[in-house]
Amino acid sequence: MTPPAIERVLFTEEEVHRRIREVAAEISLHYADRELKLVGVLKGSVFFLTALARELTVAVTVDFLGISSFSPSKAAPGMVRISKDLDESIEGEHVLLVEDIIDTGFTTRYLLQHLSGRAPKSLAVCTLLDRTPRRIVQIPLDYRCFEIPDRFVVGFGLDYRQRYRNLKYVAVLNPEIGG
Amino acid sequence: MTARRLECELVTESKLEEMIAGQFSDQFHDSKSIPDQAWRPVAASILASLGLDHHHLVVCCIGAEMLARDLPSVFRFHVVAPESIRLDNLIADRQLSRGDAKTRLRKLASAQALIRKRRFGQKASSATGFDLVLNAQAMGMAEMVDVLVSAVRSQGRLEAAPLSASAAAQVQFQVRLQLARCGLAPYLVTSPDRIRVGRKPFGHPSEEVFANLLDFYRIAWDYEPRSFPLQWDKDGKVSEAFTPDFYLPEFDLYVELTTMKQANVTKKNRKIRLLRAIYPHVNIQVFYQKDVQDLVMKYRSPERLGTSKEP
Repeated sequence: MTPPAIERVLFTEEEVHRRIREVAAEISLHYADRELKLVGVLKGSVFFLTALARELTVAVTVDFLGISSFSPSKAAPGMVRISKDLDESIEGEHVLLVEDIIDTGFTTRYLLQHLSGRAPKSLAVCTLLDRTPRRIVQIPLDYRCFEIPDRFVVGFGLDYRQRYRNLKYVAVLNPEIGG
Repeated sequence: MTARRLECELVTESKLEEMIAGQFSDQFHDSKSIPDQAWRPVAASILASLGLDHHHLVVCCIGAEMLARDLPSVFRFHVVAPESIRLDNLIADRQLSRGDAKTRLRKLASAQALIRKRRFGQKASSATGFDLVLNAQAMGMAEMVDVLVSAVRSQGRLEAAPLSASAAAQVQFQVRLQLARCGLAPYLVTSPDRIRVGRKPFGHPSEEVFANLLDFYRIAWDYEPRSFPLQWDKDGKVSEAFTPDFYLPEFDLYVELTTMKQANVTKKNRKIRLLRAIYPHVNIQVFYQKDVQDLVMKYRSPERLGTSKEP
């Protein structure tokens, strides 16, 4: 049953999985005979990364990053803090940064800078959703499942106040609630 | 002599102090009233501005090698001399007796060590902080200048590209962060290469949140650096102008924040349409205040990013 906060389903469970299979096939072809490290960003990308990893036919390892902000005071600028660092080195590895959604590009740019400083052999980006109308920072996007309009979406890892991540589909949140 | 030979602008200690006092006069009575921890970022900001204007500089001041850490394409040199030579120079320059010169030299050395300690946390410089150290006992002034000029040329420093606007903006961004750590909230006024220290004059709380968000993501920004005339009256005077809220030099992009209120959106969209028609080379992106709040919420620190509220 669809929760009342959901305005409409944007991509059904079937559509999401079909598209993930297609993108996974592209990735598997590109990285054929090579080992790939999937790096997810907590918490949103966990669901997508898991689904994607299951469909990949190349050898895969998985690691996660967590980021948050801290600031000494309200007036001072916030700073990025890696709240959960990678467990293993990525030096010399083929790395695929897996995102749930890319909108302004701020986070992805920061993470790419952070990861590229650790000397991976290659670094690419894959996202479940690409909200291009909000893009401020242009970033190289190698794989994407869906381009979406400028609406607040939840499900398949995306939350509103930590809820709805576990929805099997991607849905538009009712604008009166959070959209 | 070195500056002349290299055809560079010479920045001395007193000139730097004068410029700091001039540029920060509305916040400090003089350069000496700037908090010690703020000296380095403030001086680096001035040097970045000068680097934009003059391209090549010879900077001669206490702890210059420490300031240079914040700037790209720098060649750091140091001249040392035994006390006998320094005394001879002081006697010749100031017409002092040897006894007076000795006292004066001790006072100067002690004052310089104190300044260095206050500004940079170290009483003395270290040879490893320089690219080249020359000893005045072994060489005369002209010889040292020859060696120095030759070293600078062989390193290709004079052929290096000038400090770009985006590199200068990055320096200013680092300056903002360092000043913020000293409890000072700097902001830019009049031009992107100048910086003022004071309260941020943001027109709306969401602008401060956005500025903090950009800092969070380490993206250099200027606040309202430029107004674009949109309409002129019959005398040619500007009757309507538009000042985007932010400029992101790294992406050559202006960002305008707006509320979701239809009246505001319509008004701003009209201005942005005009701006795009008159200045087609200008990149501008409209960003809704609510989107800023969504971004803030994404990493769960709304209370730490200024005055944001949950959506």
